[in-house]
Amino acid sequence: MEFFLILVATGLVTGATYAMVAMGFAMIYKATGVVNFAQGELMMLTAYVAYSLAGSLHLSFFPLMALTIPLAMLIGLTLERLFIRPMLGEPVFAIVMVTIGLAVILRGATVLIWGTNEDLFDAGFSNDVVSIGPVPFYEVQLYTLAMLAVLVALAWGFFRYTRVGIAMRATANHQTAALLMGISTKRIYALAWALSSAIASVAGVLIASMFTIKPDLWFQGLRSFPAVILGGLDSVLGAAVGGLTIGVIENLSEGYIGQGLKEIAGFVVIVLVLMVRPYGLFGSKTIERV
Amino acid sequence: MFGRMLLAGATALALSGGAALAGDPGVSDTEIKIGDINILSGPAKFVGDGVVLGSKIAAAEINANGGINGRKIVIITEDDGYVPSRSVQALQKLISQDEIFALNGTSGSSNILAMLPIIEEEGLPTVVTTAPNSKVYSENGAPPTVFSIGPGYVTPFYAQVKYIHEHLEPANAKYGLIIQDDDFGDSIEQGYDKAVKEFGLNDAIRIRYKKGQSDFSAEVLNLREAGVNVLVSGAIFGGQASIFKEARKLDLDLQAATVWVGDMPISVKLFGPAGYPYLVADYVVAFTDPAAQAFVENAKKYVGDEALASDRYTYVTYVGLKTLAEAMRRCGQELTRACTVEQLDKMENFDAGGLMAPITFDERNKLAGTAVKIYQFDPTNSGFKTLTEFTDY
Amino acid sequence: MRSGHFKERYQQLVAVSDNRAAWGWSGLLVVALLLLPLVAGTYPTQLATRVLVLAIGAVGLNLLTGTAGLISIGQAGFMAVGGYTNAILLTEAGWPVEVTLPLSGLAAAVISLVVGIPSLRLKGLYLAITTLAFAFIINHMILYADDITQGNRGIFLPKSTFLGVGLTKGPGLYYLCLALTVVMVLLALNILRSRVGRAWMALRDHDIAAKVMGVNLTVYKLYAFMVSSFYVGLSGALLSLEVRFINVDVYGLLLSIEALAMIILGGLGSVRGALLGAAFLTLLPESIRLVFDAFGSGAQQLFSNYVFQIRELLYGVVIVLVLRFEPGGLNGIWRNTKKYWSNWPLSYG
Repeated sequence: MEFFLILVATGLVTGATYAMVAMGFAMIYKATGVVNFAQGELMMLTAYVAYSLAGSLHLSFFPLMALTIPLAMLIGLTLERLFIRPMLGEPVFAIVMVTIGLAVILRGATVLIWGTNEDLFDAGFSNDVVSIGPVPFYEVQLYTLAMLAVLVALAWGFFRYTRVGIAMRATANHQTAALLMGISTKRIYALAWALSSAIASVAGVLIASMFTIKPDLWFQGLRSFPAVILGGLDSVLGAAVGGLTIGVIENLSEGYIGQGLKEIAGFVVIVLVLMVRPYGLFGSKTIERV
Repeated sequence: MFGRMLLAGATALALSGGAALAGDPGVSDTEIKIGDINILSGPAKFVGDGVVLGSKIAAAEINANGGINGRKIVIITEDDGYVPSRSVQALQKLISQDEIFALNGTSGSSNILAMLPIIEEEGLPTVVTTAPNSKVYSENGAPPTVFSIGPGYVTPFYAQVKYIHEHLEPANAKYGLIIQDDDFGDSIEQGYDKAVKEFGLNDAIRIRYKKGQSDFSAEVLNLREAGVNVLVSGAIFGGQASIFKEARKLDLDLQAATVWVGDMPISVKLFGPAGYPYLVADYVVAFTDPAAQAFVENAKKYVGDEALASDRYTYVTYVGLKTLAEAMRRCGQELTRACTVEQLDKMENFDAGGLMAPITFDERNKLAGTAVKIYQFDPTNSGFKTLTEFTDY
Repeated sequence: MRSGHFKERYQQLVAVSDNRAAWGWSGLLVVALLLLPLVAGTYPTQLATRVLVLAIGAVGLNLLTGTAGLISIGQAGFMAVGGYTNAILLTEAGWPVEVTLPLSGLAAAVISLVVGIPSLRLKGLYLAITTLAFAFIINHMILYADDITQGNRGIFLPKSTFLGVGLTKGPGLYYLCLALTVVMVLLALNILRSRVGRAWMALRDHDIAAKVMGVNLTVYKLYAFMVSSFYVGLSGALLSLEVRFINVDVYGLLLSIEALAMIILGGLGSVRGALLGAAFLTLLPESIRLVFDAFGSGAQQLFSNYVFQIRELLYGVVIVLVLRFEPGGLNGIWRNTKKYWSNWPLSYG
């Protein structure tokens, strides 16, 4: 039983990191209909920015995030302005490809600026072990779970109660109608990138301080794909559920089956789920009319 | 299959192609071109950086001391980004475009394996220092012009497990293995197997994981369930840090054997804090060793402060190029590839400046510097304690 | 200015090309490519071989993604199936290349049904990510099906010949790839003008409408997967012949992304685009190298540490720039240039 509990608990922690990355994906997809293949790279870049800040200012987690998130949003806005905005009106596919190009650029730039040395990321978490029942946690792992809850609550509130959030939903729902209603889609796009980048920075800092900071942190983005698909590409909250589910499934498959199955368990799950629900668990099914 | 095929090729080569005339590519009156294919972009770039520095220091030192019989060494470096098909492309370029004479620096193990067929056709003298894979040894069918420095992973892991078994074994010892699911992991498993069989150890669990994995919580939990107290780990850098961190969290008491990169400063930084006094077996000295420090001092004369970035890859590539250069020097003015290979075959006890065991090759055994030194990490001062001197196993 | 260019009959509309000059120039291109090994050195020929190998795969992917609108990031997986089939049949069964090459394509085509059938209901990026998942799963199976695939040890390919021509040294492999490229390109062009090709376009443009018009979606989607995977498997097999050693690293995920980049940069849905894209992306690092070399050794020395990093980065920059200024890709540039000259001096835009 203890074995099972610990597996589930650590699975939830890993899942929470997937969930956060996946929420970033979903945020951009929801507003713009584009899967941002540079999401992992965006996370890595913002994590490195935070790493530099933490290195020079020695801040603890919350002050660090208070500095990092605005910077991350600025980065998101800049990237959107430079790379995505000029592509407005082009086929979605071309934009997706631009994000692939952007991914290559961000990877290269990160290595050029910060080099390739792997390092510990000190975001002010203690290395003491906190036990909840039979399950031991590191502080950063508890923070990760808590931050996911906060992000989910914020996202829910944002889409439900704020004007901008509702405008964003409107844009996602029907772009032309939203435009006619006086919503500036350009602003919505920019906002989506900024918010997604902010979420990415939270995910990046937590993942990097849980493990290490290194230039293949972007791969975490690719590994979060199953989460975002499972939840449904356009559901920010679904992404969170998807992430947690995938994390737990991965850990259980490693704990009880092994054979390196963990790394592909997520992908196997989504192939199976998509056969039954082609839009993921929470994705909205578009009704097509001819 | 491959072995037979290449052996046939090798014999043919030794008879015909090997007797190449003077005027082999890459040698002019004033210079000798040596190729170097490495990982110089992407996350694994730090390996390539260390290697390039080693070649650079050796070349600078040789050139400052009059070159090889008056000819200067010119290193031509190519990046393959750790992608085997790109290594092949890079080697094709180095051979037909730059016309290199020999190759020192061969990227990762998939990469050198992909390059072997071309190396065989060209009769290219090649020194492999960074890809310990038994398939690059001529006894296993690799071309006879390929010389390897440093043992595969079999020896160091066998050595460590043997040492633990003889000196550090906890009561009721249960051994556990955690490895990557590629050829690197396989060779570690061979070393582990050898020791397990020889000493009749209690082999409790074997776990494989995929390259690039960072979360090891389920794996470490499985170790605990199996009651492992001696961990033989094929993880490196962040992966190993993650394993130790998880083990700390579950309060495991572990005696650990690790991959040789464990003696690099970066490893100390990453997983030193977990406080496990892990072992590491390496065929070159640890950075804290006096020989390494003497090397850096000497290197500063030729490349300035860049020498401070030296790591174990630098030491071994430096030794590799020095060995190659010595063979070329012995050929005199009539430098050919065949002669270089012949001289490498005759290399006996070539002094590696204390960075590793002396280099000896012969026609059958083209693998040298296999002796390993075992160190133990000391968490109290973040240094290394030498447990055994360079020993062959 | 070219004038009097009318299409009066349906046959003219579906002809591979209605233009004699196009046939002439294509023929000339093939002749030039035949002469390449004699004129250029060894290395350019080897580079050209790599271009052709990847071009066959890109043409195949373009049939699936560009023409039928089914996005795939599973290229690496299908190439691996082709490459491993080829390698295993050559080494274990000892069959000749003449037989193993088509079988590699077929193997990939059959395996594609495993992805194709569950993906029938999926669209757009959901499908894309399922194919990515497939590539991961194939990779895992190759590693763990040790008995068949040699697992992580990889396979060395034996020296082989095709119709008596050696494929290991000299331009033999280049000519084989060239011949196959010509055949496969002609095949693709002919498929595109057949009922099958038109059905693919219909289901790309609007699948429900296509269904109403009597296109059997299931059948044609699976056709698209199979035909495309045949090309891609063949390309994977040729890559194995070229590299002569295969393991999972040889068929890394990068191949998927690069193939996608090729067809998008080249121009979606066009065979010419796929060819242009493959040539462009494969030669891009070389071109960047030439530019660096032009700066002289001084400049090289200056950023010797960064030169490869910068090359990597420029690769991304070029992709973004091409798409930014010509979303139709290289084929778009080609068409515009052609239009400019054929309408000259009355060209506009």
